[in-house]
Amino acid sequence: MSRPLTYLDPGSGSYLLQLLIAGALGALFALRIYWSRIKRTMLRLFGRAKDERDE
Amino acid sequence: MSATNEARGHPASFRDRDGFLYERDGVLYRQVNRAYAAHYDLLMQSGLYDRLVSEGALIGHRELAQPGLAPGLAYKVLEPERVEFVSYPYEWCFSQLKDAALATLETLSRALEHGLTLKDASACNIQFNRGRPVLIDSLSFMKYEEGQPWIGYRQFCQHFLAPLALMAHTDIRLGQLLRVHLDGIPLDLASRLLPWRTHLNPGLQVHLHLHASAQRKVGDGRESLGRSGRRVSRLGMRGLVDSLRRTVKSVSWEPDRTDWARYPEFHNYSEGSMQQKLAATEKFLDGVGPRSLWDLGANTGQFSRLASRRGIATLAFDFDPGAVELNYRQVRQAHDPNLLPLLLDFTNPSPSQGWAQLERESLVDRGPADALFALALIHHLAISNNVPLASLADFLLRLAKSLLIEFVPKADPQVQRLLAGRTDIFDDYSSDGFEAAFRTKCVIRERLPVGDSGRTLYWLESRR
Repeated sequence: MSRPLTYLDPGSGSYLLQLLIAGALGALFALRIYWSRIKRTMLRLFGRAKDERDE
Repeated sequence: MSATNEARGHPASFRDRDGFLYERDGVLYRQVNRAYAAHYDLLMQSGLYDRLVSEGALIGHRELAQPGLAPGLAYKVLEPERVEFVSYPYEWCFSQLKDAALATLETLSRALEHGLTLKDASACNIQFNRGRPVLIDSLSFMKYEEGQPWIGYRQFCQHFLAPLALMAHTDIRLGQLLRVHLDGIPLDLASRLLPWRTHLNPGLQVHLHLHASAQRKVGDGRESLGRSGRRVSRLGMRGLVDSLRRTVKSVSWEPDRTDWARYPEFHNYSEGSMQQKLAATEKFLDGVGPRSLWDLGANTGQFSRLASRRGIATLAFDFDPGAVELNYRQVRQAHDPNLLPLLLDFTNPSPSQGWAQLERESLVDRGPADALFALALIHHLAISNNVPLASLADFLLRLAKSLLIEFVPKADPQVQRLLAGRTDIFDDYSSDGFEAAFRTKCVIRERLPVGDSGRTLYWLESRR
């Protein structure tokens, strides 16, 4: 992997840390998105069920 | 065309070789160098520029048909919209720094959606323009290549996350470390100063504590990094940005521990005196008609708002982080485009500093304003800080030419409080002494008594 040519020194430790944590943070992010979708769907289903009961 | 005598490069714009700022005949220009052409074109053609400018997140610019200051290198010459006042991170309150951090991450997210990324994350690239944080460096973008880590990660943690965490978890005054560490607070220092419980905050643990130890352990291991073959996937990058955003949001500070933030509630004016003070201030504003105004010792901005409501570009300075915080929150809630609260200790205003002492301008260099308020302030400078009245007059007149100064006499309970427990060495601290100190340099236009308080508002005009 080559480094892009930029004026800023990204810092070796900072670079390495990102390589190590990005996978986990990405997985967590994906989980959060799926979880919020599931939650939304559940709310919609239960919300609808509740509406039907009310009628 | 070669550089004319009037043109000069901006002293803070030298690090990035992709372009630079310069000024000619009072107009600010940005030269984009050929080396940056592909990135600039992508910014403009991907829709990112239009989107960010329309959202108020990026400063707009015009492309000009000009050769630039270094024509051999030039690809484009831009005329960026100018911000009213350039302020620095060490002059911001907690929420200003936090909003600037979130604005940076939001812009990075947007950039990634358009196939670009941010190549830096300097807090100084954010300025408060018309009441909100905006990115002023249009050369901060570069083409995103999947696999590359974020170049600006270290800088983001040093410029934003470390000071925010220190202000919230250790002491609000530690924001002032940014005045010494212009490239952000070293992470090993932040990690050492933070209380142990911050290890339990997953974001702070990873992005500050672990980050600091990674820096310590890796040292200069660039070569092995290049060969490791590891990458940061697009999802990983989104995860990193999301994690930073959550961490910034998790850090908060409430200004209930400082007493100045509550000052308006227990000031010692009667209702009538306050009405007179407000009326006198309006009269001054009517008479002077300033375009810009600095309110020194503004507290939470009650009087600054008399000016900003008239559309006057107003800076509300106070030395108390709590007062500035409460003021900024009001500005944000009211979407006030004309009022900028800033943290400043008038006994030691922001200096010129950085490379060649030109990178960051001093307060005086960023003035003068058309007009200035110093309400319930000068007794603090003259008595608590022992500043002679003549010296006070000299300094205030360097900041503005029309002044509204409240003189608080010695008999006033506030002055008595300052004198309690110390020797009164201030023989010339009287209205006569005040007038004598200012009369040599300015004309006393009006003396406006503040009701039954014994205080007087002086409307002064510089003789210069």
